[in-house]
Amino acid sequence: MIRQANPLESMAIDFDGLVGQDLALSRGDRRLFEKLHFRIAPGGLLVLLGPNGCGKSSLLRALIGLAPLESGQLSGARSGTPLSPGALQRIALVQGHASASKGELSAIENLALSARLDDTLIDGTPQSVLSEALAVVGLSRQRDIEARRLSQGQRQRLHLARLALSLRASTRPLWLMDEPSAALDDAGTELLLQLLDTHLSRGGAAIVATHLPISTATGQRTVLQLQDFAPQRPARRAPPGLPGASASSGS
Amino acid sequence: MMDLSQAFMWSLRRDLSLALRRPADGLNVLGFFVLACSMFPLAIGPQREWLMRIGAGAIWVAALLAVMMALPRLFEHDHSDGTLDAMVASGQPLAAMVAGKIVAAWLVAALPLVLITPLLAMAFSLPVDAIPVLMAALLLGTPVLVCIGAIASALTLGLKAGPTLITLLCLPLYVPVLVFGAGAVEAHQSGLQGWAHLALLAAGMLVSGLVAPFVAALGLRISVE
Repeated sequence: MIRQANPLESMAIDFDGLVGQDLALSRGDRRLFEKLHFRIAPGGLLVLLGPNGCGKSSLLRALIGLAPLESGQLSGARSGTPLSPGALQRIALVQGHASASKGELSAIENLALSARLDDTLIDGTPQSVLSEALAVVGLSRQRDIEARRLSQGQRQRLHLARLALSLRASTRPLWLMDEPSAALDDAGTELLLQLLDTHLSRGGAAIVATHLPISTATGQRTVLQLQDFAPQRPARRAPPGLPGASASSGS
Repeated sequence: MMDLSQAFMWSLRRDLSLALRRPADGLNVLGFFVLACSMFPLAIGPQREWLMRIGAGAIWVAALLAVMMALPRLFEHDHSDGTLDAMVASGQPLAAMVAGKIVAAWLVAALPLVLITPLLAMAFSLPVDAIPVLMAALLLGTPVLVCIGAIASALTLGLKAGPTLITLLCLPLYVPVLVFGAGAVEAHQSGLQGWAHLALLAAGMLVSGLVAPFVAALGLRISVE
């Protein structure tokens, strides 16, 4: 297979894989899903699908300890060693809903800050790699512009620059992404898929919550329909033919 | 992984450069402090003995309220723009990052108050030799205020009544700092030196400085859930 020439140097990624067993999660007193199993091997892509509110973002947050899992266990796929949220935090690169960028700081300053958090920029890394990463995502001209003057899509591209840096440093083998293609144009989505492809082909893995169909050239792709794991409520169902009534019966 | 000092410097540098980009926040606090202090001589009148008597206490009360004004903002911005989530989720040492934020908050909100104190002390016609004592007391006492406030602010993050709760949580804990801080100057004026008060403030600063980053980090972990 012909890989596109990438200005960022190539490196294999060491990743153990991740297995989630019997996961359950609630928000408030509403059970979002239960008995959820997944397995993601090096080079694997796990796509979380489902309607709004089915728990895609909550699952991603729970994996890295931003929300407590109600039950279930996370462990490495090959070694089988249990993984704490703290251990996952150290191998995961999280791309969330919120911009997590400071409007007062320039694009490159914001990138430098988040790259330090991601361990993709360490002491001694030349600053030029930041400019390079911005060039990869097409933000060269916006380099010194305050982030608040960037459009939604350009802010999302700033996140893509984080991914590009992560590809260079290979310190974060597991990418957790929440609606990564939101606000991106076609070229941006193309770029996202390209970065994701490179990451997977090097043995990294990703869990992506999205509404869009994501296809990548490499890696095994697993799709998880989260609403399939919503708890069954046997009793006190509204009679068929009254679709509006069933929603209120649960809580 | 960043080590402790790198994580500390990460948030310290970031918060200081943010404070430079939006100077209104820091200037607000300083402006409040100066205004509050200059109201006293106007209200009380030009009797020198009275002003001298209340000077240190008035400056301390104004400093305490000014610092408290700055506290709700300490984690608020990071919380609303998602930076706090990113900080927790990165797995980097959170307590060190919180310590950096606390130090930055002190540098931005409290240090200017200490530096401008000599001018205000003159308005209260405090004797010149009492001014270093007052400044030393503020220098040692305001970090305690910021540390306690950081804990309260982390615990109340995201609550609607946050600022009110911060005030209620902090005020009782601020009382000893106020008593010893103003007491240091009083002791000095009555010829007792005031080292004991300053030593107690220093002890308070060390203890709160050691404890606050960890407790506040714990509070933040709870708040982001």
